[in-house]
Amino acid sequence: MCQSHENKESQLQDLLPSRINGWKAQGEGEFYGPESIFDYIDGAGEVYRAYNFKKLLARKYSQKGQPHIHADVFDMGESRNAFGVFTHDLEGKKMGLGQGSTYKGGLLSFWKGRFFVSLYAEEMTEKATKTLKDLGSIVDSRILHPGKKPSIVLRFPQQNLIDQKIHYFYNHLILNYHFFLADKNILILDENTDAALGKYRQDGQKYILLIVHYPSVQKTSRAHQNFLDSYMFESKEKALIQTGEGKWTAIQKMKDSWLVLIFEAPSSSVVEQTMKAVKNKLP
Amino acid sequence: MRKKGLTRRDFLRLAAVSPLAGAFLSGPYSKSQSSKSKVVLIRDKNALEAFKNPDQEVIQKMLDDAVTTLLDVQDPVNAWKTLVKPSDVVGIKSNVWHYIPTPAEVEKAIKKRVMDAGVPEKNIGIDDRGVKRNPVFEKATVLINARPGRTHHWSGMGSCIKNYIMFTPRASAWHGDSCADLGKIWKEYNLREKTKLNILVMLTPLFHGIGPHHYSRKYVWEYRGLVVGKDPVAVDSTGVRILQAKRKQYFGEEKPLQPPPKHIFLADTRHHLGVSDPQRIDLIKLGWKEGILI
Repeated sequence: MCQSHENKESQLQDLLPSRINGWKAQGEGEFYGPESIFDYIDGAGEVYRAYNFKKLLARKYSQKGQPHIHADVFDMGESRNAFGVFTHDLEGKKMGLGQGSTYKGGLLSFWKGRFFVSLYAEEMTEKATKTLKDLGSIVDSRILHPGKKPSIVLRFPQQNLIDQKIHYFYNHLILNYHFFLADKNILILDENTDAALGKYRQDGQKYILLIVHYPSVQKTSRAHQNFLDSYMFESKEKALIQTGEGKWTAIQKMKDSWLVLIFEAPSSSVVEQTMKAVKNKLP
Repeated sequence: MRKKGLTRRDFLRLAAVSPLAGAFLSGPYSKSQSSKSKVVLIRDKNALEAFKNPDQEVIQKMLDDAVTTLLDVQDPVNAWKTLVKPSDVVGIKSNVWHYIPTPAEVEKAIKKRVMDAGVPEKNIGIDDRGVKRNPVFEKATVLINARPGRTHHWSGMGSCIKNYIMFTPRASAWHGDSCADLGKIWKEYNLREKTKLNILVMLTPLFHGIGPHHYSRKYVWEYRGLVVGKDPVAVDSTGVRILQAKRKQYFGEEKPLQPPPKHIFLADTRHHLGVSDPQRIDLIKLGWKEGILI
């Protein structure tokens, strides 16, 4: 094993205590990488792989008469990946931990710096719930360097955004998880792009806003054309189309390197006002 | 000229086959085929002695009632004799997922009837992750597919179709596009003809998953049912409807499975493994009706 691997593993181990509130760690824990993650968490491993995760430390805590607690600490390599994987599932109550946190159904998750942390109690006893929070606070305090959120999330208009939730990604499989667009990667998303998706509601009707930032004008144009050819082939000129169920889909290229897409909007005027609002927020 | 590929709009036009319509999109049913698939949904209030602890006797009776109804043969042993013969080698494909595995009681009930039909015990295997190395499965002439129905983080639903991913050399190779082409496994690995029965265990299904482990006790409920059929697509499609209905009931609004379980729809339309359209499923409901949801 090379030294950087050892360092990474030791850094992860240093984030977790060996005991907390009567729970005791069952050994040092297991490490998993992108190839071995399916041995631990089944199909959900694809999510972490899509965000380029480097290493996972999984440690189980036990106490007689209490449910097991599973601590999963992911080294995501970069803060944008830790933030992205955190935004994959934003359901739950905010807990004031790390740089963003949620709690629901016995699961406490947060991100900070390049780390994503998931703490799960198999049953929700009062003591276990308290211990999740205490454990979260310890891990939070041991991650010394906060990270930076991708600036693309600042480009989303706040009005009508459902629960202020924005999902950040750069992999079309994750886009398809939140909103199935196409089996092929028609927007040419990859590690050099930034993409984010928000769900909006106006007059009781939901619609989707997707923003993508490309590293070059050429790539933006290619993705734009690709989308028109694949998705709006009969309305390329307008780049606006009313689909079968009376909803509106639109795409606009903005400021050379941005694509703004709206899906399932209830009217063309909603498309127009949303596009305008995004344009005002672009740098 | 339009670029090839499958987009959301294609599904809007072509693929809105309920129950996936609720999980995915809305629109007319596919009318491309005419035959119906028979599926039995059986429930028993006494199926569980405690949470995740099935009652062996009740499970045996549920399985017997489902199989005799499905095959239209009155006696359970005679019914099983139409599925297996004494010379068969039988693999019972279960599922060992830590939080909700195929219950031992279901495995035992299946094994008992396979033995009653004349198959010697040495020619019966029960396995999940070891099927590729299991000598019984290597020689199997018949497969019985039994797994718990639940939501799945990457494929939308942990389905009978998906349960066969373990027969492939590298399961993760089938994860692309939310596991869209799992139906292909059945043909590619010669599993379709061997499989005589599919049992989607809906005793304690998971209707919503969270976190890396895609599990919380909060989202498991005691449905106390089994969905049984020869057509895996029809069985899974029925399971999707139950999960969808539970989500709607729990969350108070339509909350489609995420990601959409399109592998079930595509197993029908792309891989022709079976029928996903409820209008083409002859669903027979037996037993306890309270909270049946569909």
